[in-house]
Amino acid sequence: MIESQKIRIESLGAYLPEQVLTMEDLLASCRRRPPWDLERITGIRERRVAVGEYAVDLAVQAARRALELSRYKASDLDAVICTSISKHNREDEFHFEPATAGRVAREIGAVAARVFDVVNACAGMLTGIYILQGLIRAGEARRGMVVSGEHNMPISRTATRELRHRFDGQMAALTLGDGGAAVIVDASPDPASGFHHLDLVTGARHDHYCYSRPSRRGPGGILITKARSFQRKGNAHFPAYFKEILDRTGWTLDDLDHIIPHQVSVKAVINGVKAVARYYGCPLPPCTRVSADLYANTTTTSHFLALHRFILDGTVAAGDNVLLVSGASGIVIAHATYTFDDLPDRYRGRWASGGAA
Amino acid sequence: MKRGVYIAGLGASLPGFRLLRRGSVARAVEAGRRCLADAGRRPAEVGVLIHAGVTRDYHVCEPANAAYIQHGLGINVEFHGARTLSFDLGNGGCGMLDAAHVLCALLQEGTLRAGMITASEGNADPRAKGDRPCPDSGAAILLELSPRPGIGFGSFAFHTRGEYADMVKTVVSLAEARGRLKAHRDPGLEERWLEMAGSVIDEVLARDGITRGQIDRVIPAQISAGFLARLPGAVGIPAERIADFSGTLPYTLSTSVFLALHRERELCPRFVGRTVLLLAFGSGLTAAAATYRYAHGDMIADKREKEIAVNTREKRKLL
Repeated sequence: MIESQKIRIESLGAYLPEQVLTMEDLLASCRRRPPWDLERITGIRERRVAVGEYAVDLAVQAARRALELSRYKASDLDAVICTSISKHNREDEFHFEPATAGRVAREIGAVAARVFDVVNACAGMLTGIYILQGLIRAGEARRGMVVSGEHNMPISRTATRELRHRFDGQMAALTLGDGGAAVIVDASPDPASGFHHLDLVTGARHDHYCYSRPSRRGPGGILITKARSFQRKGNAHFPAYFKEILDRTGWTLDDLDHIIPHQVSVKAVINGVKAVARYYGCPLPPCTRVSADLYANTTTTSHFLALHRFILDGTVAAGDNVLLVSGASGIVIAHATYTFDDLPDRYRGRWASGGAA
Repeated sequence: MKRGVYIAGLGASLPGFRLLRRGSVARAVEAGRRCLADAGRRPAEVGVLIHAGVTRDYHVCEPANAAYIQHGLGINVEFHGARTLSFDLGNGGCGMLDAAHVLCALLQEGTLRAGMITASEGNADPRAKGDRPCPDSGAAILLELSPRPGIGFGSFAFHTRGEYADMVKTVVSLAEARGRLKAHRDPGLEERWLEMAGSVIDEVLARDGITRGQIDRVIPAQISAGFLARLPGAVGIPAERIADFSGTLPYTLSTSVFLALHRERELCPRFVGRTVLLLAFGSGLTAAAATYRYAHGDMIADKREKEIAVNTREKRKLL
């Protein structure tokens, strides 16, 4: 394989649990209801909630859907990489080992695949794609799957029990949602489509802005976020990387058909757009796609659930240029420039009437 | 032809009681510092940092432990200047070999100068409850493109038997405050790993086109004395060619193979010309194998050759 050969998303699978929980209902379940109008502040109206399903189940569902659309069988996959953060694979249990990827591979029948997990916070799926790009270019794999299932609502439920005051660090846990996503990645047969560049960088001095661990006060896991500082730090640095990857790809702002940011919240995305506009000294084209209003922050899966939504509604089409942007705890800043082949057409053809979600 | 990738530095934080600097991040940072010193490299030269440990301080699941380790080692911690990407790769006791395979591929793209892999086990929480799957430890390796062909990692092979996945499990129960670590190891586990060892070695040797007779040394995970005693029979390699440090080096999960390699390096009289087989076992169940070739040009092998030359000169002077 040629070093510079592009890889592409050969297939995409998305899974959204059926049950919907509105922001109002989530706030109503808080022992001490926050005084903020979180729906107005975040722009998140509702999210999907997994009932009777755990993180690994969401990942398996998404993986099956990706296989349904793919020309490959599960047994053709050389690698399965699972990038879930919330490895709540059973009630009240968080799994360190065995790798969740092994369970996913077994459930879908990927008998020949190498399996391992990758954790890189919300940039996990992009990190998994970066790893697969390396393995494919080195000739160590021909194709593989990056999959994630995020069962975040147990963390939100802890927040509803433990929130104590209006500036509580767990407030951001009320912006989470559940979902699963999977992509099958292989070498792009067309040099014009696929990933042009994929850049990830960790500014580890800022590793304290967002972390998740078991609660010290009672059962359950918690997510602590210094949201304002996190956003301020991210917005101070990511526009330079944004411009750099566009320059390396040979694109200008006008070449972008879609910007798909990590869906932290609608407000956070708007602030990010403003930061890039300030950096460029001109407004961005109105092509930033936001799905956080309906799905909330589904952490690692958010880019691909947004793609699912905007492909199905016809916004994203074959041949479109997309910039994926991620800011994750660590702090990790990730950017990817991508041109679609016929995947949006195939995806709509398969799921538009059936409803992947 | 693809350039090889070799181990430019190896660092260890050996098991043992620590009053201070406890926990998985501290152990990985300690091993990482020793690794950089061993390689004579600056932290800023590390372009990718992969952490492959299983257990975590305070059971933190986000951000990646690798970010804390990158911070601890002072590797390009800000967003300006040289860049580093860090992330965690999890596959139980085979994680470090998985990470080595991934890092070899990333280095061969030619955009990175060096990458580091760390693994560590432990929990810095003084009030942590529950089973500990192994003693605290840390290991780190620095990988770079080989100066010339024929040095460093050869092939890798990974075999997973999903039907035995429930035999090893490490989870954190969230039913109580702070979480409780629970580790399950099935009594029949070692038998299954022994069954898998032969086939994973067959595959890696076939990929390299060599035979068992051409392996000078096998460096296995130090699972237990009993396991290592049965390993020669299971893999068809004589016991004298299999490194057994089980008397002095306990099983340390993700760090075990590279702590054994570190011990081997301390004890081995000569490296040049040797072919080593690294053999790891982990949850999943997974068995992993990789071949590694020492030759002139390899930093570790050359260092030992220099030591031998100096010792020889000094002996001659004394005589």
